[in-house]
Amino acid sequence: MSPGQIYTLENLIYSYDGTFTLRIPEFTIPRGASIGMVGPNGGGKSTLLRLLAFLEAPDDGTMYFDGVRVDPADASPRKHVTILLQEPYLLKRTVFENVAYGLKVRNQRTHLAARVHEALSIVGLPPADFAHRRWYALSGGEAQRVSLAARLVLRPKVLILDEPTASVDQQSAFLIKEAITTMRTTFETTLIIASHDLIWLNSVTEQIYKIYDGCIVGYAAENLIDGPWVHDDDGLARRILPDGQRIFTATPPARETATALLNPSDIMLALEKPAGLSARNILRGSITHMTMENMSDKMLVVVDVGTLNLTSRITREAAESLQLLPGTSVLTIFKASALHWQ
Amino acid sequence: MDYLSEGLIRAFVLLFSGDAETFSAVFTTLKASTMSMMASLVLGIPAGFLLGYFDFSGKRQIRAIVDTLLALPTVVVGLFVYALISRRGPFGDFGLLFTIPGIAIAQTILVLPIIISLTATAIEGLDRRLKITLLALGARGRQIAMTSLLEARYAVLIAAVTAYGRAISEVGVSMMIGGNIKWHSRTITTAIALETGKGEFAMGIALGIVLLSLAFAVNFILITLKRKS
Repeated sequence: MSPGQIYTLENLIYSYDGTFTLRIPEFTIPRGASIGMVGPNGGGKSTLLRLLAFLEAPDDGTMYFDGVRVDPADASPRKHVTILLQEPYLLKRTVFENVAYGLKVRNQRTHLAARVHEALSIVGLPPADFAHRRWYALSGGEAQRVSLAARLVLRPKVLILDEPTASVDQQSAFLIKEAITTMRTTFETTLIIASHDLIWLNSVTEQIYKIYDGCIVGYAAENLIDGPWVHDDDGLARRILPDGQRIFTATPPARETATALLNPSDIMLALEKPAGLSARNILRGSITHMTMENMSDKMLVVVDVGTLNLTSRITREAAESLQLLPGTSVLTIFKASALHWQ
Repeated sequence: MDYLSEGLIRAFVLLFSGDAETFSAVFTTLKASTMSMMASLVLGIPAGFLLGYFDFSGKRQIRAIVDTLLALPTVVVGLFVYALISRRGPFGDFGLLFTIPGIAIAQTILVLPIIISLTATAIEGLDRRLKITLLALGARGRQIAMTSLLEARYAVLIAAVTAYGRAISEVGVSMMIGGNIKWHSRTITTAIALETGKGEFAMGIALGIVLLSLAFAVNFILITLKRKS
């Protein structure tokens, strides 16, 4: 466990309903970092966030918070961590009372009004206009920002946001981004954010992890290819896409419905089939979108291949030389051995 | 039909002239119902909160009993309380029979299930996100419980108003426990029953107007609270 980590998780296991299990062999979050989490619904993002917020205790494994081993019976780490839910819940009180609630339960009443007004200003809600509004006199975006202000006013060490922009307008999404960035720079708050909005998430985080089927399977761009897989006579397994193209793997899956992982860096893009190529998988598709990857000089190019979206990580120079644009028809090329099983 | 219109005119005369006998029944009703409401709120809100907030073995059975008691007949309560506070009963020495506190005790038993059941329903119906939100904001056990009760305040007030409507309009308990004694334990409902029996419609109509006004006020408060909650 490094002293620079705000969280260290070791062999963490959490199950519910006997149907879902979250397993995290090892995971660390540096102090002051801003990390994102993506993945399909039901994959375990929200469960992991609740564990990190100490709202749930793991069934097994060890958690360290700020260098100290977490005891599930000890509620004190929760004072330093707060979570904002996807659908905010406001108390049936004024905006001021909602924002002040956390300070009051902590008995921090010094400069209460000033701190509440400051938090409201950070989220772009002028206190003079909003402080005395009732909970029902707010739009969805305003309610979300009031909820955020109620967390920011606590100046937590860790702020966890679960789909913060899922039900808000563009302006609110921008103001939420501004507010949490201000918190991070002013109070060195660690940010942990789950979102489906990859572009927004890219703009506020430096590392994005993909959570799938209860596991952290890699970074955001990691490709997940679901079954059904069919065994071939030559020992390979293949997945037939709706347009008839086939994906081959070098090792057979444990079950027909297994999910294969494919690193975006292992996917090469070409306009025509290169000569002397040993890669088994060559699939034609068209580019749907392109974006710069956070904290790197690489580009992520998403290609629609027979209804499957494959993300390739290439250099900017490669994209320029191939003159890639959304809509361009390209070949995605990767080795059968590049696929490994979840 | 003249006797009805005459009764109505005389009813207004009784009301606007401040007829002592009419207003004695009104004040007795208000006294008894206020006492019973205070007692049932003090007992019922915490009991309803415990029933709605916590999970414990036997909770469903207790809930079933409380819900059954919502339909408690007033005469059964009257009989039960009469047996307890009559001279031969275990509480006979307190001299509560044919008194306003006696009526209030019986009314408390009558409306307590309403307060408990509706409060428990209000607490059970709280948004599932509330507890997570309060935990996320740093609240602990008692703080979460008190905030939850405050969040359900409008629904709890609806329970109180509903119970008050039951208390002021019941006749069985007031008749059996109060004894309908003029200037002493005669309530609006028992007075109406008596005056109607005597063929004296004026006071019955006058008291009926007061009772309807009270019922209207109670209903108005209910509508307002439901809109707020």
